[in-house]
Amino acid sequence: MSINNENWEPTIIVFACNWCSYAAADLAGLNRLEYPANVRIIRTPCSGRMDPLLVLRAFNRGADGVLLSG
Amino acid sequence: MKKRVGVFVCECGTNISSVVNTVEVAEYAKSLPGVVFATNYKYMCSDPGQELIRKTIAEEGLEQVVVASCTPRMHGKTFYNATEKGGLNGYLCEMANIREQNSWVHPDKEEATAKAKDLVRMTVNKVLLNKPLEVQTIPVTKKALVIGGGIAGMQAALDIAEAGHKVILVEKEATIGGKMTQIDKTFPTMDCAA
Amino acid sequence: MVAVAQHPNIELVTLAEVTKVAGYIGNFDVTIKKKAKYVDWDLCTGCGTCWEKCPEKKLLDDFELGLGQTTAIRVAFPQAVPGKAYIDADHCRVLNDRKCGICEKLCPAEAIRFKDQDEYVTEQVGAIVMATGYDLFKWEEAYGEYGYGKYPDVISSLHFERIASAGGPTGGNIVRPSDGKVPEAVAFIKCVGSRDDTKGKSYCSRACCMYTAKHAFQVKDKLPDSESYVFYMDVRTAGKNYEEFYQRSLDAGAKYIRGRVSKIYPRGNKLVLKTEDTLLSMALEVEVDMVVLATAMVPSEGARDLARVIGFSTDKDGFFQEAHPKLQPVETFTAGVYLAGACQGPKDIPDTVAQASAAAVKVCGIFSKERLATEPLITEVDINKCSGCGFCVPVCPYKAITLEELPERGFTRLVADINSSLCQGCGACLPACRTTALNLKGFTNEQIVSEVDALCL
Repeated sequence: MSINNENWEPTIIVFACNWCSYAAADLAGLNRLEYPANVRIIRTPCSGRMDPLLVLRAFNRGADGVLLSG
Repeated sequence: MKKRVGVFVCECGTNISSVVNTVEVAEYAKSLPGVVFATNYKYMCSDPGQELIRKTIAEEGLEQVVVASCTPRMHGKTFYNATEKGGLNGYLCEMANIREQNSWVHPDKEEATAKAKDLVRMTVNKVLLNKPLEVQTIPVTKKALVIGGGIAGMQAALDIAEAGHKVILVEKEATIGGKMTQIDKTFPTMDCAA
Repeated sequence: MVAVAQHPNIELVTLAEVTKVAGYIGNFDVTIKKKAKYVDWDLCTGCGTCWEKCPEKKLLDDFELGLGQTTAIRVAFPQAVPGKAYIDADHCRVLNDRKCGICEKLCPAEAIRFKDQDEYVTEQVGAIVMATGYDLFKWEEAYGEYGYGKYPDVISSLHFERIASAGGPTGGNIVRPSDGKVPEAVAFIKCVGSRDDTKGKSYCSRACCMYTAKHAFQVKDKLPDSESYVFYMDVRTAGKNYEEFYQRSLDAGAKYIRGRVSKIYPRGNKLVLKTEDTLLSMALEVEVDMVVLATAMVPSEGARDLARVIGFSTDKDGFFQEAHPKLQPVETFTAGVYLAGACQGPKDIPDTVAQASAAAVKVCGIFSKERLATEPLITEVDINKCSGCGFCVPVCPYKAITLEELPERGFTRLVADINSSLCQGCGACLPACRTTALNLKGFTNEQIVSEVDALCL
């Protein structure tokens, strides 16, 4: 979908550390804290594991935003 | 390794199914490359739910298992065990988090169902690359070190020692007892501290 | 205390510090520094001849918090465990190149060793319990309005414990440190350093409400004609029988006044407290003979260094960080290291004992197994790809990677080697690997790429 379309929604990829951010996302669920549904979370063992190439891969494949959290 | 993935979509009572159309997600899963079986069930973590996984692994000759339910931080171990009981290595099981990170945070049914499909697709893709892994073991030196000889250190040392294990209690001062030795009487019983 | 010293399974090492910890759960190598005691404890009987005759008699006694005097060779206090003498190297005349040696001449057991040195020993252990306790907040450095410690009759609550103790410097008589007079009025100020963001700590130290209730009670109990004032912000008595104890203190005649004391200054040989009663909304001036400050609990000196040596973290206040505030209050982020008592956060005695027993159970749980299972989701090395550059070695927070020599076709080359017991599977080494020789089982490059690709169709 083109960014010029008014219904356009970005695809956001989140790399979340299993021990903090991923757990925090679970906690957000536990507390029913709503957020936009176009966020997709990939579990990583630690943010230290994140290779910059993985971020580039996401952009390369069409992700509109990448959030590294850990 | 053969690609024979089974996808089990949990309704979690209504926790997931009130927002996510689990039937539709299971149907969608069947269309994914490598998936040979997909179903939805009320409570995957229950005994009958685990039994369903165990039975299906045998009946369908599954090589990989995907459970779309709650967070793996909650029931990862449960489904690892169910997979092992089915005769597969537990590390050939992956979970898609469609409760904490989907049905509980997205009220829009259409969006949540679409996201659940995405998460299942992602997890199927990953599990196809999983390899059986073996748990290793390391030896244990049955001797404890307790650092600090106050109330906490003395109590811990005594309890461990009473259980029959050796303890080294290291204290930086010349005497054990810590602050307690300086205290006169203790509340609420007013008995002596030493 | 005696039960600890006499237990056949407990080896007691006092005047010692842990200086180094290597290894991992089930297999720690610990280095312990045993400080020089200058007395052979195998021979010393604790008879007391040496400290009775020691000519250095006017040293400030740390155990009595400076309220009493002690000698250069001593035991910490009469009931010390172990009850053996040691020499304070800073004050002993012989150890400071002056003439003496009286203890050496008189010791019936011939146990004095002036040439004693610090000694390092290593031990192998399977689990570690941290129980390093707390220190008191140094109010003298922060509270100018209470006199920066220059008024001798403004003391901390631990000083008051010594004064109230039958074994203390006053024999249990509650008297002023300055002139030994029985006080006609004693003021207790709570939350000195606790719950004070501007000068102290933001947290509540939890035990002070109760021990102050005890102190106020002790004043009324021992000196029925004296006044006992307590200045407080809140009274927190969450514990079994705690509220009842507080009521008992009130019934005994302790006067609780809700308000912070803004200044203490001398008038004649009395101390004046400027304060307010917030329940009556009025300013007050109260004249007392002695002020006792309920100072905050802070982590014990050196706790942060020790945490660094062992390799786990401390919280914003320097207390040891538990793995989870509710579900893992005894565990740390380092497997096999557990927490007990006030080193994790301010605690009273019942909570400390409970946590210590919990830590002991965790240790016994490990010791109940012959071998421990380890998570296989760890890094593996493809030695065919590894160039031996070593970039991954310093990146690893668990010191799990070493470079090993690999003989190959008559040559040897270096390749990375993962210690599977130390590796925690964080994967921090992967981005450091230029040849993608390292991969993390369960979270391989291929797996994460496949997830990314699946989501970005």
